[in-house]
Amino acid sequence: MVETVKNGQGTLVYEAVGLKKHYDGGKVAALRGVDLQIRQGEFVAIVGPSGCGKSTLLQMLGSLATASEGVLNYRGQSIADMADPSEYRAHEIGFVFQSFHLLPTFTVAENVQIPMFEGGSSRAQRIERATELLRSVGLEHRLTHFPSELSGGERQRVAIARGLANKPTVVLADEPTGNLDSVNAKQIIELLLKLHRDLGVTLVLVTHDLAIADLATRTIRMKDGRVISDSGVTPPTDSP
Amino acid sequence: MTFFTIVVRGLIRRPVRTGLTLVGISIGIAAVVALVGMAWGYEKSIEKQLDVIGVDLLVSNMSAGIMPKVFDEKIQEKIAKLPHVAETTSVLMQLLSIEDAPMMMVSGREWGGFTWNKLKIVEGRMPKDGSEQAVVLGTLAAEVLKKKVGDTVQVETSELAVVGIVDGGAVVENGAIILPISVMQEATGNQGRINFVDIRLTPNTPKQTVEELGKQIQVIFPEGRARDASEVVSANQGFRIARAMSWSTSLLAIVVGVLGVMNTMLMTVFERTHEIGILLAVGWKRRRIVYMVLCESALLGFLGGVTGVTLGALGLKILEFTPAIRGLLEPDLSPKLMLISVAIAVVVGVISGLYPAWRSSRLSPSLAIHG
Repeated sequence: MVETVKNGQGTLVYEAVGLKKHYDGGKVAALRGVDLQIRQGEFVAIVGPSGCGKSTLLQMLGSLATASEGVLNYRGQSIADMADPSEYRAHEIGFVFQSFHLLPTFTVAENVQIPMFEGGSSRAQRIERATELLRSVGLEHRLTHFPSELSGGERQRVAIARGLANKPTVVLADEPTGNLDSVNAKQIIELLLKLHRDLGVTLVLVTHDLAIADLATRTIRMKDGRVISDSGVTPPTDSP
Repeated sequence: MTFFTIVVRGLIRRPVRTGLTLVGISIGIAAVVALVGMAWGYEKSIEKQLDVIGVDLLVSNMSAGIMPKVFDEKIQEKIAKLPHVAETTSVLMQLLSIEDAPMMMVSGREWGGFTWNKLKIVEGRMPKDGSEQAVVLGTLAAEVLKKKVGDTVQVETSELAVVGIVDGGAVVENGAIILPISVMQEATGNQGRINFVDIRLTPNTPKQTVEELGKQIQVIFPEGRARDASEVVSANQGFRIARAMSWSTSLLAIVVGVLGVMNTMLMTVFERTHEIGILLAVGWKRRRIVYMVLCESALLGFLGGVTGVTLGALGLKILEFTPAIRGLLEPDLSPKLMLISVAIAVVVGVISGLYPAWRSSRLSPSLAIHG
């Protein structure tokens, strides 16, 4: 059952309480107890040094990885208890990865259509939607090209179009500019900002680039598997 | 793009490996088609021969081997006296090595019996009587032996004159050397002995009566049995062994095919861990991944099956014209055999894909993407 929580700042989308993630039988701790809330329509940047757990957190938000301990809810429902997390990934989430992760044997238009196979749309609808999305990211002239024929920036734009294929409410972007030069990086961020504004999607973006983080409405800083600061949370006062 | 497009792309991304796997399955299926086609063909050829001659029942002692044991020819006279038996003729038929041909059907037939009537003279004549040291050759037999009217042919200890070439209307008939039974008995040292009694029944003999007749024949000839044309084939131990061998060899070929496809699909899944991770990340259900892998392996099986049937059909055609086989059988390349072979290939594909599909469904999307 989906439970929505409102506190005047938008519907609660994610709520994490004491979230921990261990690897290697507990020897390696990627997350050491993360508490956070993310609301509908926010643009949240998660920053921190390499190995601080920001990508692990993003994967857990996207149900690509499971928590070792703690609670992680999406719209009030535990992600760990979802009967079919693929439904959640297919319809609620759009992923954008640093390495693009496009399928090399499929054309640009076909890559964008891939997630739509879980959307119950017809072939004609898939083609129409992919064309429309690729037009919105400025790649209508690249429909029949293969990923190897595109520049890094173009590949990332295809990945963004693919991430939006099933009209998700949340876009999770893991270092989307990490493999791009500054010009392409700027274009990608502008594109993500535009989509965030125009479509109203909740955007959670992991980056080590503080200039990009400054564009977000909220910045979460992480270190050693913990949240060390969150611009969206007012620190509790000790005064009576 | 359809789901089928994705399945096809999965196969053509490694064209050489897919091609080699196809060759592997094709050879397996070609073996099935060739071996089973030969076994079925032999059975059908015999059935057709009996049908052409017009035999309703055949009495023999099919205890062992391809050819039944010989027995006393007097049994024929006793059978001829039974009710509903319109006509009988005794036959001594053996598979013999004749000159350069490794194996030929040599059929000694009671002179004047109905089994001679359906033979049409193509060239020359029939033997003058039952004692003439002569043979007629079926058209295929003449071709295989490279004999014409006026030549002689060595049958065991006897050198016999070829007096005619005949068309018997069935491959087995046309591939045979046909001669009077007394000449055959003498040539093979089986004086007074036969191994078949061909029976024609009175018209419209009810099935129940035929069964009763069979029991009466068994009383006269306890070691023998009266069978109709289809039973002759199914009861023959030699045929049964041939059939079992053809299927067991085919099974071996199929097992090799299964291992080949499984290896390919496992390699495909291992190589595509990253791709499968992406598919899971963008929301593909695990069962869709399983379905994709199974469809790929089934398609591999189907393509291998179709290629294998084509190769098998070509192989059968080649075998049909091989001197060792020519005239003995007409390979059976029926739609039924082709369908069964393709179905086997698809099943092989699906079975081979089960484990790789299961493996692919167990992948963690996070690990698959990030290694």
